[in-house]
This record gives sequence, structure tokens and C-alpha cells, in this order.
Amino acid sequence: MSTELIRNFSIIAHIDHGKSTLADRIMEITGAVSDREKKDQLLDDMDIERERGITIKASAVTMNYEHAGKSYMLNLIDTPGHVDFHYEVSRALSACEGALLVVDASQGVQAQTVANAYLATSVGAELIGVINKVDLPSAQPEITAEEIEHVLGIKKQDCFRISAKTGVGVRELLDAVVTLLPPPPDKGNEPTAALVFDSICDDYRGVICYVRVFAGALTLKQKIRFMGAGRTHLVTELGKFTPKMSPVDRLSAGEVGYVIANVRQLSDVTVGDTITDDSSPAEKPLPGYVPPMQMVFSDFYPGNNTDYPNLRSAFEKLTLNDASFSFVPQNSPALGFGFRCGFLGLLHMEIVQERLERENDIDVVQTAPTVSYEIVTNDDQVKRIDSPSDLPDISHIKELREPFVRLEIITGTDAIGGIMKLAESRRCKLIKTDYLSQKRVMLEYRAPLAEIVYDFYDLLKGISHGYATMDYEFTDFEASDLVKINILVNRIPVDALSLIVHRSTAESRGRKMLVRLRKAIPRHQFEIPLQVAIGGKIVARETIKPFRKDVTAKLYGGDVTRKMKVLKRQKEGKKRMKNIGSVQIPQEAFMSILDTSD
Amino acid sequence: MDCEKFDCVADSLYVHIPFCDAKCRYCGFYSEPIKNHNPQRLISAIIAELGQYDSVKSFRTIYIGGGSPSCLPTEQLLRLISEITSWHGLQARESTATMAVLPPKPEEFTIEVNPGQVNKDVLSRLHDCGVNRLSIGAQSFNPAELTFLGRRHSVADISRAVGAAKEAGFENIGVDLIFAIPGSTLESWKHSLHSAIDLGVQHISAYCLTYEEDTPLQKAVATGEVEPVDEETDRAMYETAIDELERAGFKQYEISNFARPGFECKHNLNYWANRSYIGVGPAAGSYWNGKRTLNIANIAKYIEMIEPRRAGNATAESEIPNHLQIACETAVLNLRRRCGIKLEEFKNRTGFDAMKLFTEPIGRYRELGLIEMTDGRLFLTRTALPIADSVLCDFSTV
Repeated sequence: MSTELIRNFSIIAHIDHGKSTLADRIMEITGAVSDREKKDQLLDDMDIERERGITIKASAVTMNYEHAGKSYMLNLIDTPGHVDFHYEVSRALSACEGALLVVDASQGVQAQTVANAYLATSVGAELIGVINKVDLPSAQPEITAEEIEHVLGIKKQDCFRISAKTGVGVRELLDAVVTLLPPPPDKGNEPTAALVFDSICDDYRGVICYVRVFAGALTLKQKIRFMGAGRTHLVTELGKFTPKMSPVDRLSAGEVGYVIANVRQLSDVTVGDTITDDSSPAEKPLPGYVPPMQMVFSDFYPGNNTDYPNLRSAFEKLTLNDASFSFVPQNSPALGFGFRCGFLGLLHMEIVQERLERENDIDVVQTAPTVSYEIVTNDDQVKRIDSPSDLPDISHIKELREPFVRLEIITGTDAIGGIMKLAESRRCKLIKTDYLSQKRVMLEYRAPLAEIVYDFYDLLKGISHGYATMDYEFTDFEASDLVKINILVNRIPVDALSLIVHRSTAESRGRKMLVRLRKAIPRHQFEIPLQVAIGGKIVARETIKPFRKDVTAKLYGGDVTRKMKVLKRQKEGKKRMKNIGSVQIPQEAFMSILDTSD
Repeated sequence: MDCEKFDCVADSLYVHIPFCDAKCRYCGFYSEPIKNHNPQRLISAIIAELGQYDSVKSFRTIYIGGGSPSCLPTEQLLRLISEITSWHGLQARESTATMAVLPPKPEEFTIEVNPGQVNKDVLSRLHDCGVNRLSIGAQSFNPAELTFLGRRHSVADISRAVGAAKEAGFENIGVDLIFAIPGSTLESWKHSLHSAIDLGVQHISAYCLTYEEDTPLQKAVATGEVEPVDEETDRAMYETAIDELERAGFKQYEISNFARPGFECKHNLNYWANRSYIGVGPAAGSYWNGKRTLNIANIAKYIEMIEPRRAGNATAESEIPNHLQIACETAVLNLRRRCGIKLEEFKNRTGFDAMKLFTEPIGRYRELGLIEMTDGRLFLTRTALPIADSVLCDFSTV
């Protein structure tokens, strides 16, 4: 098959702008999904399956489409919609020549529309502008088209107006995929080079790699080499998702499909690696991705120390399906043995947390998420610090750097004042203001990640009554005037409650932390002093008063069983907390320190 | 320590009389208005239920509680008492065959009475039948508090009842008091305490008002209609009780119980030693042959279960605690006594070394000054008493 008849593309969109519905409509029109199988949002169903740990996700679907008397092979590569998963979007786009940029006609251009468009452009993918949901009464396709032209430079008359729901305009759009997007370059005669753009682990078949063949071909029983990892494997199965897994004998240049080659563990495959033929390898690997950077870290400790091995095996299981999550053993003087876990962002952390709870019966105490820092030591070494407790004494370092991001916020003009105030209070620097239309504006900031990673999005939604959207991308580390806040509970410093914050806000943050902790830690049998220390100096203090009365008045014969049960419950309640000295600290307390609301 | 000599031998009998004139709004015990029932039939059933324990020769203590046993028609109450004592004697006679040995009298035979329901005549007859201890539900000496609780007796009824009891020959009289009643103050509580002390009784129980589940009072608190006494006042009332009663010569021997030396309630000490007892009547609990059972809390169903068979049972729930459970229960119950856990006895009774079984909480609480150990006894300190549950819960399981 000539590459002339192949088109590889993705659909990118802000969340809820209709990406999945459009994918379904396309699969329906091309016959990839028969009427019997037709279910709304097929790709989303697959997402749920993946979430449940079921193996196959159809992140690449191969379809046939007839146009002008020719049969084209269309490969639709799925992308996730959330800001935490930028790198997944970019690796999916790397496997494509083009992308459909879908914008909801009733919502207009949103933060992730812009972020996704930038990603597509950066990997050289052609964009087709698509204005969706034109059937809605609130649709404003003209204004949306103007926004697209203004922000993304796609001419408004070139945008396709469709309704993925009703199917209006979708056929014309598919024609455009064929006529407007470029075919893959024809490199069938060159040495094999296939990009691994995703991988999953199946309990029975081992690792399944999703690949885009850029040059040469992959064949059954071929001895292949992962160029980055340096391992060789024998291809045992090749195939395409139609969207069912359909085995084939060969994947040629330009094609997209899957490879199974006796790879046991997900960690043996690096997404972004290049597969080549072992006997006649490519000269150099394809440009891979910058590996995703874990920006958010949090410690997980078993509520009960004997659960440590169970927690380890639970994490091991999680990494099988999620290579972007990591964990290393961590020993806290206050909390004992646990693990420091790295995540792409807060949402990613929440997903892992939820899976951990749902799939395992382990009481876990989790510390407040923190970002990663860089320090420059006195002998000019640059080191990453993923936890405030690892921060050496200030006198031992030259510089402390924190991560900065490019933050884009799109909002109605009426919320600008409130948003600017919020951004300013979080040390964000305004870089650019860009009016998308009379009523909507895009604000670009340079922001310290630590200030926006936790509750910024919720606050933004609150200020804008739910209308503002945001997206951010890591740019660099930069020196800041940061200090560590230490919390002492009952005079014992608790490393898991430390935070690194900007000096200008340190004291007020520390006071707020104490107020939160006073509310989150239950009263004990004795008075508990809470103290904040900054740079070895106590700057604030709160006291948790002891409870004064807790005794069953009557306990006689007939009551024994019932009263014992009540006491056991009371003891159970204590178990769900973490002992620090003689103080029991509940899970909520560790998280509460990040709450900056008044 | 005082309880040393009481908590060792034989077994106890508890009879639950689930009748009241009217239900008090705070009461969590099972009882029903007597006017809806036939007391004679219930007493017959209770007597029949006792039949299943024919291997028991005698009880060291007997306690008839409720409800209010004193609301029974006197002839029914006396029938119950004489059936218990004569059944008792019959067993003894049969087993000793030819030897005409009188059954041992119970060392302690208590009846709970409501001060509004007794007079000298009734009390004399009870005394003549072998009842030697009265527990009088005084609750408060402040009329407003009695009204709040839904009690039907007056303050004057209390001293009248105590006077009548003394005249009837009772030398072991206890009164129950309740503190932390909404609307009460430290002063009103002191008034109740001193009024009780001044009556010249031998035993005073001082219970903190408990908001039992599913009681009208608990609902009133939930809706905000009633506001409980604040924690500080509650605690001050409890500590005042301990101080004032000790000053008046009443020794605290359990969290809520105070007695003049030698007048500790033997029946209750038996519970706190976690020894066996038999309970009969609706909703009564037993701990017998290693099994804890609870009778059905419904008069009609109770009678239905007992009547067709002589010596039937009306068990609704039962549990056989394992060795560890027994050890934990024993520890919790023992620690409610001021004398605490007697380590050697604990080991003999449960097979466990308490110091080893509870190493962690003992260590922690000794450091916090909530538990002390002297003379082979492990006991809650005075500081621990008001917050005893927060300590005891760590002994409830291992």
C-alpha cells in the first residue's frame, strides 16, 4: 500500500468540547463500528476500562474511508484531555501528520484548546479547525471562528462547522482529512524505524506496544531491537485496532498498529523509543519525546506499619499500568517507613490515590503534595529536591530554585479583575493579555508551580463562576527567596508537615497552617501545643485543648458486649490516624496545611 | 483494697422487671408501661425461666432491677421474691438429700425502688422476705431537674422513702443520683449531693446523664431543643462528686459508685470482676458457662418463648467470647474499679499476663500519668477517671 492512501490524525480539544463524540461518529461513518456494536462514546468506554485496569485501550483505531473512488486508510490516534497529560498528547501527535482541533461553538476557544494547538504545531502536525455543536441554540460559530483565527491563526473561513452529535458536516470533515492533511512520507525502502507512542501491560500477553512505523516495515517473527533500551525481541504478534485487536502480518511505513514481542514488564519499554530491525538497523533513532517530568510529589505511609509490604506491592501493581507514576522508599522520623511518590500533576495523583483505595484494602496516610525544587550546593552541584524534608540547611546551599510554568487563562472580561488579584497573590507575573473577542480574553502568566498546583484552579472557577479555563506547562527552574516552614506538634518537629514557601508569605502561611491543624487534629487526653518555626525561630503557636470528659457512666452485666463494641470502635478510630509521639494525627490534617482559604 | 474480699466466690442473679409507670425521657433500658401488661403472667414466665438453671445451688447476690420493680403489684413482687428464695431452698434440699441443711442466704439481695412507689409497709414485707439492700432512684434533689428528667416522684418522696426503709429495718441503702442534667448547675448538683449524704445512706451512685440512643432526650438534643451541659461543667460536677463524697466518708470504688466502707455493692463488683451471672426477664443479660446471652427485649415475645416449655429460654443474642476477648473484657471491667486490675488474679483468671498483653497502652498511659501500678495492681489515676473511655478503649482489643 502506498503511503499516499494513508492519513494519520488525532482529535484534540478542550475537555467536553466533543472529542469522543466526533471519534464515535467517524468510526460509525467509516464502518469501524457496526450498528450492533454502536455505543455512544466508544473511546470513553475504553477509558473506563483502562481505569479499571482492564487491558485494552483503543488509543489508535484504523478505519477505511472511500473518497473520489479511492480507499484510504485512516488512523485515528486518541489523546487524553487533561492538562496533567500534555506529554501523552504530544506523543500521540508525534505519530500523526495532522490533527482536528475541535472547539465547542457555545464555549469558544478555551485554555486547553490553545495548549493542544501549541503542542500540535510544535511537533509539526497540520491543523484543521473544527467548530462543533453548531446545532446548539447557544452556539456562536461566527464568534468562535473569529477566536480561532485570532488566537490560533487558522482562517475562519477554513474552519469546518459540524455537529458530531447529529453528524452534520462530519463527512465533509472526513473528506478534508483526506484532501487537506498530508500523507505520511514514503520511506518503505529505508531501514525499519517505528516509534513507540504508548504501551500497556496485559496480564496474559505481556506488554503491548502502540507503534507508528515511520520507515521500513515490521513483520511477524522479525527480530526487533529497541534502540534506546538496547534489548532485542522477537515479534509474536502484529495488529491494528479496528477497534478490536485484529492481527496482521505486516505493518508498513506510514501505518499505525500494535506490536507484541514477549516484553514482560512495562518498565522494559520506554515510550518514545524506536523499534528497528536487529539485523539491518536504522542509523539513528527517531526523535523521541522528552520524558514526562514528575512535578508533584507526595509521601504515602501505611496507617499500620505492618502494611508496608502490602503498600509496596500495591504500588508495584499500579506502575504496571502507569509508567509515569513512580515511588521510592522513604523514611520519615515522624511517620516511619513509607514511599515518596511522583506524579505528573495533581489530577494524576488523585487518579493513583483513587486506584490505590479502590483496589487495595490498606489504610494510608498521605502527606500534602509538594512540587520538586532544585538546589545549587556550595560546590556548584545542582540537585533535585522532591520533599521539603530533604532540603539541607540554607547555609549549605547557594541557591534554592522552584519550578515555573507558563500559565494561560481564558476568561470572560468580567472576571479579569478577580483573576488578576488572585494571580498576583500567588506571585504570578502577567506576560501578555490577548483579547479573543470583545468579551473574552486570554491572560498569559509566568507562575511558580507551587502556587497554582493545589487550589488555584478551584479558586479560578469560583471567581469566574465556572467559566474561566486554565492550562499550564513547565518552563524552567528559577531562584526564589524560599524558606521552609517547620511544624512542631507537641514540641516534636513533624517533617511530613513541612512546606517550602516564599519568604514574603511564610509567616502568614504558617499561622494559617496552625489554624487548620488545630481544627484537623482531634482533642487528646492532654494539651497539645502546635508551633510554627521558620529558620529555627518559633513564629506562631496554637493549642489544642484536651477533652475533658469521656467516660461511660454505667457499665453493668447486660451492657458488656455492647459497650465493648463501642470501645473497640473508639480504638479503631484512633488506628486510622498516624502516631507522632503520643499525638494521633488524622489523614485530613496532612492535607489541611495546603488550604489557604480564610 | 476493699473489693478484694468481695469479688471472688459464687454467682449472681439479676432479675429484670421491664415495667414502669411511665417511661422517663432519658432511660435507655427496656421497659414498658405496666398498664398495658399482665404482671402476673410475666412473673410466672420469669420464674419458669429460672428453671433452666437447676444446677445452680445458690446465689451469693441477687438484684432485682428494671424498669422499676416497685411498680409491680406488691403481691407479685413478693411472689417473685419468695419463688426465688424457695426455689433456691428446694434445690439445696434435693441435692443434700438426707441432710437438712438450710440453703445459704444470699449475702446481698437488692431491689431497685422508685421513691414514689414505696411505703413502710411494703418495705417491711420485702425486708422480711430476705431483701437486705435497697437501691433508691432519687436522681436529683432539685424539683426542676426531676421534672426535666420526667421523674414522677418529688424531692420529699426521696427522704420519705429513705426514712421508711430505715424504719423497715434496712441497714444498707443506696441512692442513685444523676448529674449534668440540662439546666443544672454546679451549685444545684452540690445540693443534690449533700441532700443525699444528709439522708444517712450507705451507698451513692453518681451517674453522668447519658444520652442513650433512641431516647426522646437524645432526639431533643439532636434537634437542638435541649442543650447538654458543657464539658467543663460536666467534668467539674464529676470531680465535685468525688471530692465531696470522699470528704463525707464515701469511698469511690468504681467510676460512678461510692460507698461507706463495707457497703460496696457486691452484685456489681461481680460484674466488674467479669465473673458469671444469670439474668432472667425480658432484655436481661447473662454470662453463664462462658456464654454471654441477651434475652429478647419484648415482653410479649418473651412470654411466648418461655411459656410453652417449662425452663425454656428467651435468648435473642448470644456470644461465646474467646480467651483473648475474655482477657480484654476483664481488663476493661477491672479498670473501672478504683482497685483496678490485680495482676496475679488477672493471670489466674484469664491465662494472660496483663503487662505483656497490654504493653503498649500501659507504657503510654503510665508515661501520661493516666495509669499507675503499685502492689501488683494496675489502675486508672484520678486524672484518668473523667476520660476513662479514651484509655479503656485501648484495652478493648489487642
